[in-house]
Amino acid sequence: MKFIRRVLLALSVASAVAGVLRFKGKGTAAIKQGGWRKITGQK
Amino acid sequence: MIGIIGTGVVGSRVAETLCSFSHPQIYLYDSQQVVAQRLATRLNGRDTQLTVVTRDEMKSVKVVVLACPSPHMAISRELLESGVSVVSTSDDIADCLNLLSLTQIAKQNNATIIIGAASSPGMSSLIVRQLAESFDTIDEVHVALHGTGGPACARQHHRALSGQSIGWHDDEWLRRPAGSGRELCWFPEPVGAYDCYRGELPDPLLIKRAFPELGRVTARVTATRRDRVFSRVPMLIPPQAEGGMGGLRVEVRGMKNAARLVDVVGVAERVGQVAGVVAAVTAQAVSSREITTIGAHALGESSLPNSSLLTKITNAGINLHSFVRA
Repeated sequence: MKFIRRVLLALSVASAVAGVLRFKGKGTAAIKQGGWRKITGQK
Repeated sequence: MIGIIGTGVVGSRVAETLCSFSHPQIYLYDSQQVVAQRLATRLNGRDTQLTVVTRDEMKSVKVVVLACPSPHMAISRELLESGVSVVSTSDDIADCLNLLSLTQIAKQNNATIIIGAASSPGMSSLIVRQLAESFDTIDEVHVALHGTGGPACARQHHRALSGQSIGWHDDEWLRRPAGSGRELCWFPEPVGAYDCYRGELPDPLLIKRAFPELGRVTARVTATRRDRVFSRVPMLIPPQAEGGMGGLRVEVRGMKNAARLVDVVGVAERVGQVAGVVAAVTAQAVSSREITTIGAHALGESSLPNSSLLTKITNAGINLHSFVRA
């Protein structure tokens, strides 16, 4: 019983840490220093 | 006359492109005859006659596009020994190395084999050749690929993340575990930014062959966390019939007017479409004797009409985008 409780505790701590890392991370930022220009197929 | 072996995503795009060029006769072969028959029925028209043939009948054509899953070694050898030129779309390192070893057989039979005539490798080498013209010297090439063509391409992408990547680094080949070396790469819109990782891709091998002066060559593929975690186990879920919008990004570094210069050109298009157009244009160039050099060659080599091939590819609807700094 004690073992199961420890496993559950470890799993919940691991998922909490993973959740924080997953959602606190920054998303991809928009390009601010340039962009793409089509060089072929321009009409 | 041009033959196509494999009538899946890439093979059908090769056939469509050749039809748009009004190529008079195309032979088709697929291990599933009904698929080849369906493609022939769909594309048969006034200008182009598509015929489903047996594998042996492919030996009567001038050039064959191999758009089937790799390896292409056995079928290439068979065709070259019959004097038939080959355009291979293989994106497997071992297969490309084996195909390069067929140069002697190709020369003995007065035939040509073009290796890696697809999106990456293929289109990437042609872009490098075009960019190299605006430099005095080039010394680094970094390629990144996003997306997959058909199911065989998706399986190859899966394998590419679990093997050993190769890269040319200061006069030696470096082997690193595929799936390592994360780098955020920006592809032309609508693809955008993706994390890219080293992959077991043949691009460095073929680009280095075409540009011996290079000091560093790397190739990366985009991957999600799930791709990386499950890359070492067999694909449990069958891949989709065709991947979505793909992207190719080629970064070339070198010198111009004694200054360091970096140029980036990208493509945003379905990978199967790019591969099909590149293979079709290359096959047509071999068929029309625009490519006359015999032996084994990779696109981008100075002995090939790279500029003309790239112009035809862009005229067929594959647009290039250049990264412009603000």
